[in-house]
Amino acid sequence: MKPTPPTPPRWAARLLERFGHPDTLEEVQGDLLELYTGWAETLGVREARRRYVLSALKLLRPLARPSRSSSQPSPSFMNPDMLLNYFKVSRRNLVRHKAFSFINILGLALGMAASLLILLWVQDERSVDGFHANGPHLYQIYERRYYDGKEEANYFTQGLLAQELKRVIPEVQYASSLEWNMPATFEAGETIARMDGSWAGEDFFRMFSYPLLEGTPETALGAPGGIAVSRKMAEQFFGSADRAIGRIIRYENRDNLKITAVFENLPANSSQQFDFLRTWKDYVKENKWVYNWGNTNPLAFVQLRPDRNGNPADAARVEAKIRDFIYRYLQRSEGLKIELALQPYSEKYLHSTFKAGKPDGGRIEYVRLFTLVAAFILLIACINFMNLATARSTKRAKEVGVRKVVGAVRSALVGQFVGEALLLTFFSIGIAVALVALLLPAFNAVTGKQLALPVDRPAFWAAMAGLLLLTGLVAGSYPAFFLSSLRPVRVLKGSLKFGQGATVFRKGLVVFQFGLSILLIVGTLVIHRQMEYVRSKNLGYDRENLIYIPIEGELTQKFARFREEAGHLPGIRSVSKMKESPTGIGHHTGDIFWEGKDPNLIISFANTAVGYDFLKTMNLQLKEGRDFSRAFGTDSTSYLMNESALKKIGYKDPVGKPLTWGNRKGRIIGIVKDFHFTSMHQAIEPLVIRLNEEQSWGTILVRTEAGKTREALAGLEKVCRELNPKFPFNYRFSDLEYARLYRSEEVVSRLAVGFAALAIFISCLGLFGLAAFTAEQRTKEIGVRKVLGASVTHVVAMLSGDFLKLVGISIVVASPVAWWAMNRWLQDFAYKTGLDWWLFALAGGAVALIALLTVSYQSIRAALTNPVKSLRSE
Amino acid sequence: MKRAFLGEFEEVVLLTAAILDEGAYGVPITQEIERKTGRAVGFSTVHTTLQRLEEKGFLKSEMGGATAERGGRRKRFFTVTAAGRKALQEVRQVRTELWNALPPKTLQLMGS
Repeated sequence: MKPTPPTPPRWAARLLERFGHPDTLEEVQGDLLELYTGWAETLGVREARRRYVLSALKLLRPLARPSRSSSQPSPSFMNPDMLLNYFKVSRRNLVRHKAFSFINILGLALGMAASLLILLWVQDERSVDGFHANGPHLYQIYERRYYDGKEEANYFTQGLLAQELKRVIPEVQYASSLEWNMPATFEAGETIARMDGSWAGEDFFRMFSYPLLEGTPETALGAPGGIAVSRKMAEQFFGSADRAIGRIIRYENRDNLKITAVFENLPANSSQQFDFLRTWKDYVKENKWVYNWGNTNPLAFVQLRPDRNGNPADAARVEAKIRDFIYRYLQRSEGLKIELALQPYSEKYLHSTFKAGKPDGGRIEYVRLFTLVAAFILLIACINFMNLATARSTKRAKEVGVRKVVGAVRSALVGQFVGEALLLTFFSIGIAVALVALLLPAFNAVTGKQLALPVDRPAFWAAMAGLLLLTGLVAGSYPAFFLSSLRPVRVLKGSLKFGQGATVFRKGLVVFQFGLSILLIVGTLVIHRQMEYVRSKNLGYDRENLIYIPIEGELTQKFARFREEAGHLPGIRSVSKMKESPTGIGHHTGDIFWEGKDPNLIISFANTAVGYDFLKTMNLQLKEGRDFSRAFGTDSTSYLMNESALKKIGYKDPVGKPLTWGNRKGRIIGIVKDFHFTSMHQAIEPLVIRLNEEQSWGTILVRTEAGKTREALAGLEKVCRELNPKFPFNYRFSDLEYARLYRSEEVVSRLAVGFAALAIFISCLGLFGLAAFTAEQRTKEIGVRKVLGASVTHVVAMLSGDFLKLVGISIVVASPVAWWAMNRWLQDFAYKTGLDWWLFALAGGAVALIALLTVSYQSIRAALTNPVKSLRSE
Repeated sequence: MKRAFLGEFEEVVLLTAAILDEGAYGVPITQEIERKTGRAVGFSTVHTTLQRLEEKGFLKSEMGGATAERGGRRKRFFTVTAAGRKALQEVRQVRTELWNALPPKTLQLMGS
């Protein structure tokens, strides 16, 4: 063997390579190399190198351009001719396989429409309270209480807290309390109407960006006797905002208030909603309890002073400073510790549930849940697309083969198929947007929102483009890579066999798809069942045939007459009253004492005041003792309590035992069986009830006879008009009020039903397509089987079995996940249904049945085909 | 008729290409010329001349025959075209006529 030939100087070779004439470069390089070898043998390496260099240098043609190309160029992927061809082929494919195209586009469109709706909703939820100019500086105060070894938090604050914080803490620039809404009846001129509103501090309009049409933020709530009203209210009473300002409006037929400001109607994405605000000075005047710092009720907001550079203040530092603020005004006690804390106002709407003294969860959980659902549904739709595309790849394989043979590179093919997917997605997104526009009114009705497609916002179209790209790429990528990887030789020879990989992948996708569907169905079932449980649970009182009438206007003084007259009306069993309403007893007091109470023990008791006949009207069960009665003159200092309260107090034989509430010493006269007076999210709290027939506000409770509601209402209206002519007759049904407690669960429940149905529908669309495809693929096989004597049932079972197996696997996989997820959801309820095994069986069975129905149509059709037809053409 | 002029070196190269017939490409042409004429002809000169001859239409070329010793590069084989043959004929004829016109005395002096 020859020793390795010496090589010519590298630099010269490089130079030649770079600057030689492109047309002749190849042979020149070759010739020179050959010559060099010859020279090196005859003349020596040195001379050979010299000659090589000399020749190479002489052959440099740095400015030469190639005049002829060496081979036919393959047209670029973006070449207009190629694009035209792609479009043509796509269109032909779409038109030729109408059913598949329909399934693909419909599935994607439905999926995207659903996701779009959800995303609109999520977007709207996230935008709530985000519009305040002072947003980064606004905080809501919440109070953390440690007692009984527990840690709790809520938004209730002391009545004077806001103004004291502003006075004492320099970092607090503005502060305002806000009472919970309390509807009131207004009168001006001829107009009498009931509006919903509240009280707020002087700084309120300086802190929150509610634009004022009349008045200034500084003076809006400054002077006692003033009131700020919404544009809607101003227009209702005075015709317009500018005519309303400065006018007098009568409040609850009691106070004459001067309108000091008119604010623009509150936007739908504000968590605060009110039509009027009275001044805090008036509130303090009317509510002496605020001077006792042990009492809480209103909300409190602060605006922190920004630092010198205008950056938001360090909330954590301020929080540390105000943590023990309450104890400037309140004696420290052993068993109870109260701390103040700050929550950014913009987060309050979505994060309003407290766990262990910290904001944790709330609506954000639904936002997250539905975002996830949107992603799931979109994914299911994408999977359909991927599955059908890969399954049908045999049809496209020949095309791929031919394209490759005539010179298509892989990237061009990937581009083609992704482009095709994008095209389909584009159609679908068009349909989806139309669908959403069509469905929005119904969706709004369910969710109680005012969503609209923001077609005028570029961000929306950008989001659409993003969705298009995302969906197109997710749906199109796998088929594109799969198809472009096919080997032309094998495809064109007709020996195309799909590897195990593709089939397994496809099956995996089906399992995944159905798993998600099962997850959604189980979720729906559980939510629905919980709602049903809540709806039908024995609350401890009878919520049918119970009417609430707010005590307002002259009714406050004339309650005795009202009871007298209403009692004689047909269809009315009994009449009573209470301080709040049976669905929402929110007042709490720690001021309850009994014999042998541990002085360090602090227990918060829910409490309310009621009129005579309360138990009878509510249909509450007495465990022992008696109801308040006119027969006993001492009942104004008597107490009723529920079983939970008795447990806390620990009396053995409670009736007749002493109990002190504040400084009212009295005796226990009866124990009421536990009943639900807040939502099922909470356990029943200890409750103390006292008698106060003169309570000036609250609710009249009227128990009607079953089936006579209409008569009773007619009679009640007459009595009310007579006694209280200045107020519109106003009433609510107890069961509807109760249902309102679960408004958000109800919405979730209905949405979940819709989306679960959609998910299973889209999954089945895909399955239908797949089944059609398999049946088509196996036409010959079925023909042969039939010729050899297989029965129709046998063939159907064979075809359907394969798919059922997949559904079975998805049931097995999805059930534990569903169990885990729903268990977590139920944790939020103190009273809940169980997660029974049959729920999962039902979901699985339903899915299997639907899948079977879907597949069997195709299977039966395939099985019924005459074998002659399928075998004739070979 | 415009007649393409055939330079002296061009004639040599064209002739050599004709001699080598099937195997005419850069390397053997260069070597053959060197051997026959004893001149040290640069490859670059030969290459350029070949290009020029092809441009003039006396030669045509095609690629082929890659070998390992050329680093896998193909060769450009040259074939003399009809025009090329005609040009050679003409040159030869001119020479012959000129030789024939030489007085015999002078011819003798040259030693032949």
